[in-house]
Amino acid sequence: MNKQEIIEELKAIVKPYIQNQEAFDTLTEETDFINDLKINSANLVDVILDIEEKYNIVIDNESMERMVNVKAAMTIIETQLSEKK
Amino acid sequence: MIGNDIVDLALARKESNWQRKGFLDKIFTKKEQLQIVTAQNPENMVWNLWSRKEAVYKIYNRETGIRAFIPLELECFYESGTIGTILIKGKTYFTQTKIENYFIYTIACAEKEYFKQIKSIDIGTKINKRNGIPFVIDSNSKIEKTVSISHHGRFWKGIIIE
Repeated sequence: MNKQEIIEELKAIVKPYIQNQEAFDTLTEETDFINDLKINSANLVDVILDIEEKYNIVIDNESMERMVNVKAAMTIIETQLSEKK
Repeated sequence: MIGNDIVDLALARKESNWQRKGFLDKIFTKKEQLQIVTAQNPENMVWNLWSRKEAVYKIYNRETGIRAFIPLELECFYESGTIGTILIKGKTYFTQTKIENYFIYTIACAEKEYFKQIKSIDIGTKINKRNGIPFVIDSNSKIEKTVSISHHGRFWKGIIIE
């Protein structure tokens, strides 16, 4: 799976929780979940659980700490998926 | 430093399903989860403890400049529904929580004595930001004063330390 595919899948995951449509429409790797997309922090837990379910991976606490932007989420997903192979 | 956090209970119910599998495990320690499941009103306890963590995180973030999603590292010590402390990386912060019909609201301080110096500000107050940290400039003294703002659903709360 390439970066663009992961970004598209991530977009679909965060969509129900975003509160800033413009930032969502122009989402890049640099987009911040809370500052840009205005996802409330309790919903960040849902994003993390949705990612775990979608990719059948476990995001440990250490990874969860870094999960504040698209780039970090992508790195965590890519790392976990490559370990599964 | 001060921090605050408000939860609009009706909106929280709409936005979050705290009973979702895995939800509590991601943000509450085993001890906190026990506090929740044995509470008379578990849902209110979820948001009570959550607002404490959020209010203290604001202080932690401002003191250290560290941004991270670390709910499990903010460990709640529950003294009562309204009073407690939170331990994060060896440092203790103090919390005072208000439980009303429609919201739960927590104020947090680095030192217990600060609670006496905290005043509310109203929504019309001119608030400046530097590196994302809000402050106001006192109109008489021109001194910058730290503030903390929280907004959720129908509620807005701002505090200042005198």
